[in-house]
Amino acid sequence: MSDKYGNLIPTGRLLDGKPRTILFDATKCIGCRQCVHACKDWHDHPRTSVYEFSSSNWIQMEPPVLEGLSPLWARNSCMHCEYPMCAAVCPVEAITKYEEGPVVIDPVKCIGCEYCVYACPWGVISKDEVTQKASKCTMCAPRVSADKSPFCVQACPVGALDFGLEEEITAKAHARAAEIGGETYGENEAGGTQVVMVLKERKEAYGLKFVLPKKYPAHKIPLGLMLKDLFTPRCGVSGKLRALYLAIVHPKRLAYRYWPRRA
Amino acid sequence: MIDGSELFPARRATRLPGGYMGRILRVDLTTGSFTDENLPEEPVLRKFIGGQALALYILLKELPRDAAPLGPENKVVMMTGPITGTGLTPGGTKVTAVYLSPLTDYTLGRGASSGFWPVYLKAAGYDGIIIQGASPRPVYLFINEGRAELRDASRVWGQGARATEDMLRAEVGIQDARVMAIGPAGENLVRAAMLCNDYNHNAAHSAGAVFGVKKLKAIVVYGTQRPPLHDKEKLIEAGLRWRKTLMVRSVDEKKTAGHAEDLHALPNLNYRSSLIQDHARGFEQNRITLRPCFQCQRLCPWDVEIGEGPKKGAVGHYNAGSEWLDTFFNLGVKGNEALYLAERINDLGIECSHFSCGAAVAFEAWEKGLIGPADTDGLAFEWGNVATIDRLLDMAARRDGKWGELLAEGPTQVAAAIGGDAPKWVVHTKKGTPALHDWRPHFGQMLREIVASGGMKPQGGGSAKPPPDLAYREKWGPLDRDDPTGWPWSQVLSEQYRQFCGLTGGCWFAQMHMKPDGLKSVSDSLSATTGWNFDLDEGLVAGHRSMILQTLFGTQRGWIADHDWQQVGERFLEPIPDGKFQGFTIGKWIPQMVYDYYRLSGRHERTGRPFMDTLQRLGLEEFNEWAQLD
Repeated sequence: MSDKYGNLIPTGRLLDGKPRTILFDATKCIGCRQCVHACKDWHDHPRTSVYEFSSSNWIQMEPPVLEGLSPLWARNSCMHCEYPMCAAVCPVEAITKYEEGPVVIDPVKCIGCEYCVYACPWGVISKDEVTQKASKCTMCAPRVSADKSPFCVQACPVGALDFGLEEEITAKAHARAAEIGGETYGENEAGGTQVVMVLKERKEAYGLKFVLPKKYPAHKIPLGLMLKDLFTPRCGVSGKLRALYLAIVHPKRLAYRYWPRRA
Repeated sequence: MIDGSELFPARRATRLPGGYMGRILRVDLTTGSFTDENLPEEPVLRKFIGGQALALYILLKELPRDAAPLGPENKVVMMTGPITGTGLTPGGTKVTAVYLSPLTDYTLGRGASSGFWPVYLKAAGYDGIIIQGASPRPVYLFINEGRAELRDASRVWGQGARATEDMLRAEVGIQDARVMAIGPAGENLVRAAMLCNDYNHNAAHSAGAVFGVKKLKAIVVYGTQRPPLHDKEKLIEAGLRWRKTLMVRSVDEKKTAGHAEDLHALPNLNYRSSLIQDHARGFEQNRITLRPCFQCQRLCPWDVEIGEGPKKGAVGHYNAGSEWLDTFFNLGVKGNEALYLAERINDLGIECSHFSCGAAVAFEAWEKGLIGPADTDGLAFEWGNVATIDRLLDMAARRDGKWGELLAEGPTQVAAAIGGDAPKWVVHTKKGTPALHDWRPHFGQMLREIVASGGMKPQGGGSAKPPPDLAYREKWGPLDRDDPTGWPWSQVLSEQYRQFCGLTGGCWFAQMHMKPDGLKSVSDSLSATTGWNFDLDEGLVAGHRSMILQTLFGTQRGWIADHDWQQVGERFLEPIPDGKFQGFTIGKWIPQMVYDYYRLSGRHERTGRPFMDTLQRLGLEEFNEWAQLD
């Protein structure tokens, strides 16, 4: 892992170090949102709106209409990027990329600066209004550690979600895309992700975002937000000290935060 | 009568078991006031669990014995169960409403529904609702995160169920809100009006008429709470086991004639032929979308976009079963026009069998010359005449004209108005109507229809083999067509476990297929949710208790068991006219089968009253005055 990431982002291992991938087959999805509710059930999230991202809703099905009432469905949730920009911009190294795939936010370390919220190319990170911490899908990292599939995957009643070793899932996705004359999404976007989708129509028809196939894609953290962090007490004194220390120890990371296009 | 305050403690003396939200909302529509009632104490909950039994126990305590079904004093008690809305089991989606039935006027009415509404009722903080009184003007009840209010419904009064759902969701401004509503049929007190929720779901058997009397157009629920769980890990494990026992539905079967295929019989032209012909023509061109209930993998509900014919492009929303198809097959309609009409009847909110059995008698009378154009205001009552049926649906839902009035009242009233031999052609049980299929070739299903509480979709429906989880001790038979031995016990037992599943808040469709572990996984799910050590035997006793409460409710209002076999439409007991089961009827074993059924379930065979020892065994001694004494 260190060859790939240097000390740019924190990395870790949950189980055996073999990367895993979630497969979302849009041709099988019926838009029932059982994955969305399963996610809430596993994490004991309140039954907040299933139509928008929040700290208690980590999967959002596109389009945001009643279950079943659209011919096409896409899954919006964390793509678990191979090169996660959210982790690269985090000033306190609260976001870890695990070898098995999951990109996980540590709520204890998070200072609520919102950089990751803006850095995510898919806009799937939200900030909890109460705890002021960033949150998103964890790929059920504790379940992956126990060699189980994410809870959303096991909940799918029609087999539109699958989970397994990266090479096996990628092969399945390619075979399925060839079978239906469709395409895949997620393999190259943002330099590759650990969620791959099989689409029958073009991705625009599903409302999926166009993301360049570039590692650590450029982000748009508002300048005002950064200035606020530099000159106001936002995120707390300890948070600032931690951010300052880490900036000194790993100066290379600053480029990803402040000059994303040059990085 | 025991004071209601004893049942709902002001302060709990016992713990609240897992799975329950702890509160019941009492709505008095006359005064517009609300009361939060605490759920009964734990021993009462363990006895009645939830669903029909708990709701009915409350109704038995509160409903005056002289209440009229369509009077303001009738009450509707709606209850979920502890596993409703946990999200971790299949079928945890049920709400059951009980009331005095406007179909029979003297037995229990029960409407049960699934989908999402029951889950969001609990998310709003309530296990159930008691609805009493009547509002002077149309209102809807909005429960938002534990806060209830009555709002003006004049804007949606007159609208179909689908439009009402859309309009009220928009009006409350919460996209996740869930709506249960009545259509025009309920507003106009059609005796078999339904409650309709989440597009695809209906609680049939006249709850809609009781809502209509109360001028309650809809109940809109929203909330973010979830039921607390005793042992989540164990519940997940039990839920996964349960899931493995499901018989999952598929898109392909939605392109067939439906349940008639399994029954090998389909009602044609008022049950005068059972042959399946080209009834499903054109279905293969439809676009089907499965729309499962909340976290259930059985995938019963489905939507259609009709792909051919005069109704091409029309959209419909249906649930499992296919009564609404047989409803129109019975009137001579075939193919996608039957699906179109099915969507219409659900949107208007009329129980399909009630309409079909009534209209079919009128059509048969037309065919046989008893009535003619002069009697029908020029409408041609011809089999398969879609325009006429379409018009009659509207007339029935709005009690428009003579035929609208008659169809709204029911099949027996239609036949009585026609006169002659027409009363012999009616399919009905105690003025209600069976779930519309041709059940006649099948022992278990026929028995359950006959002993059900008057057109109320019955539970039970014994099968030829005991469920595997009970096979170690249950044996019956021989179950064949020449010997009725065994069927009554099969019915008694299956009614018990299906009742039990319903009481937990589970859907009995999610456990009706008799696979190994099917029943055990239900009782294990209940145990994991509540913290009770519930085994299957305790579950069966709870189911039995629910059956007996249902009987007691009728007994208190003049029902006796003899009515079950005496008040059955002749046509329903005629031999099958053709097809695989030609000539078969259970009629020759009636009333003996009915007697056996009541005797085996601890009730007197003629009065239906439970014996004293049955009440004692079930802990229902407080109802001793209604026991059969000899």
